[in-house]
Amino acid sequence: MGRQIGEVILDLKNISLSFGGVKALSDISFDVREHEIRAIIGPNGAGKSSMLNVINGVYRPQQGEIVLRGEHFANMTPARAARAGIARTFQNLALFKGMTVLDNIMAGRNLQMRANLFQQAIWFGPARREELAHRAKVEEIIDFLEIQHIRKVPVGRLPYGLQKRVDLGRALAMEPQILLLDEPMAGMNVEEKQDMCRFILDINDQFGTTIVLIEHDMGVVMDISDRVVVLDYGRKIGDGAPDEVRANPDVIRAYLGTSN
Amino acid sequence: MAFFIETLIGGLMAGMLYSLVALGFVLIFKASGVFNFAQGALVLFAALAMARFAEWLPAWFGIESLALANVLAFLITIAIMFVAALLIERLVLRYLVNQEGATLLMATLGIAYFLEGFGQTVFGSDIYKIDVGMPKDPVLILENVFEGGILINKEDFIAAVIAATLVTLLTLFFQKTATGRALRAVADDHQAAQSIGIPLNRIWVIVWCVAGVVALVAGIIWGSKLGVQFSLATVALRALPVVILGGLTSVPGAIIGGLIIGVGEKLSEVYLGPSIGGGIEIWFAYVLALVFLLFRPQGLFGEKIIDRV
Ligand SMILES: Nc1ncnc2c1ncn2[C@@H]1O[C@H](COP(=O)(O)OP(=O)(O)OP(=O)(O)O)[C@@H](O)[C@H]1O
Ligand SMILES: [Mg+2]
Repeated sequence: MGRQIGEVILDLKNISLSFGGVKALSDISFDVREHEIRAIIGPNGAGKSSMLNVINGVYRPQQGEIVLRGEHFANMTPARAARAGIARTFQNLALFKGMTVLDNIMAGRNLQMRANLFQQAIWFGPARREELAHRAKVEEIIDFLEIQHIRKVPVGRLPYGLQKRVDLGRALAMEPQILLLDEPMAGMNVEEKQDMCRFILDINDQFGTTIVLIEHDMGVVMDISDRVVVLDYGRKIGDGAPDEVRANPDVIRAYLGTSN
Repeated sequence: MAFFIETLIGGLMAGMLYSLVALGFVLIFKASGVFNFAQGALVLFAALAMARFAEWLPAWFGIESLALANVLAFLITIAIMFVAALLIERLVLRYLVNQEGATLLMATLGIAYFLEGFGQTVFGSDIYKIDVGMPKDPVLILENVFEGGILINKEDFIAAVIAATLVTLLTLFFQKTATGRALRAVADDHQAAQSIGIPLNRIWVIVWCVAGVVALVAGIIWGSKLGVQFSLATVALRALPVVILGGLTSVPGAIIGGLIIGVGEKLSEVYLGPSIGGGIEIWFAYVLALVFLLFRPQGLFGEKIIDRV
């Protein structure tokens, strides 16, 4: 791989999160380095999605802090995360179902749009020029993800695999520095998985985007990630390069124990 | 035949206004899940402000021209409605995010009572006139097609054109602009919208501003016809069956539902009224909407409601 893994860009310190009596995350710490692909794995209910939701501010942990490029965030919110260059996809698709593929991805450009409401209402002039410029960028993403043929289709009508791709496209449209992917290949067939893998590797390689990835498919995880965090029942039981993690007795036990 | 068409056209023209008010409902519901019971109060409040400023401005500043006074009053009222939208979001909705639908509904009931009371305190509680120079005389059209021609109320016609224009402009705004897209995004999925940096608060303020503008236009049209008085708030609530009929989340539903209700009311008033009794137009819309609900609970264009068991 041509990319150079850099300094720590995202540092999670002693994160604890509970819902009523359920401890979703207990004192979890790990870091993410610039340009790397960092996987989070673990059995069902281990707290993986909760971790992503903490990173982009959907959940607020009771304890711990998030350090992003040296800046401390005591209470992250989705809006702050988005502005700080964090984009994400969702485990259970959260697309704008009534809107076309193009509109969904265009919506991802929201933060880069500068024209004010008044200019937009006039439509001609700055707002239109801006719209066209963003449109060009979005077309690049559409080409990249090979979804030209469905640009004008409302996403609600697309098969699951393609919806997952649109979800990724919308996140990419933000030109994020950090991309959080929650099971991007879940429910896909082998071919779709291969495509998705290729996209993730290309994003990482071509744009240098740092990627935090949750995935159940061990083959995929071991193949594409640089380092892996393993969660089980809200605790961290392993952290390191794929080979190290695979040899870790705790990890083996957690996976055998739940027959996953 | 000519009389039937006359009634039909009258119904469509009245219906256009219902569509407009229903659109205000639907936008707020889509964007925030709030069933806005205060829409009627907004109409009353806006009409009161408009009527009173059009009266006060000439007195305060010696403005001679009626048109100028109206334009200024209109602009001031728009500004007031925007401030109201901002305050409603800041002081009420912001603290009720993710609450139950019933809680939100109660909150808008509170807003409705406040607006009605506060509006009457500030602007007075008499009957006021809005005079924007609407022509009151009827005209005859299609005299060579039908015997005796078709009688059309010019005022209603202009009102319908204004309402239709506003509906069209709003639809264009939502389809063609970045803010419109953000609004549709919020309507489809709050969480995803937030994750791409769309600020929910701002979107809510915008939809309440739109609802305010819609209320003002409806208030001016109804107010110039009926006079500005407390009952305007209930006239606007006639748009309720429209949203039930059209589906709470559907913009085309609001528009077509409005037309159906408008026509239904007029036809029932003219053809059923004499045998069933007067006042039918007041409850007919609800019956129509309820009967309709039996067959399509999600409304004309609403999304299918799937109950998870
Ligand atoms: N919003 C919530 N409210 C209550 N409990 C929650 C919430 N979100 C997660 N949990 C609980 O926290 C724990 C961790 O859930 P989480 O979704 O993070 O697991 P996961 O590792 O992503 O699992 P999966 O592989 O099934 O997606 C579970 O016990 C879950 O029930
Ligand atoms: Mg999960």
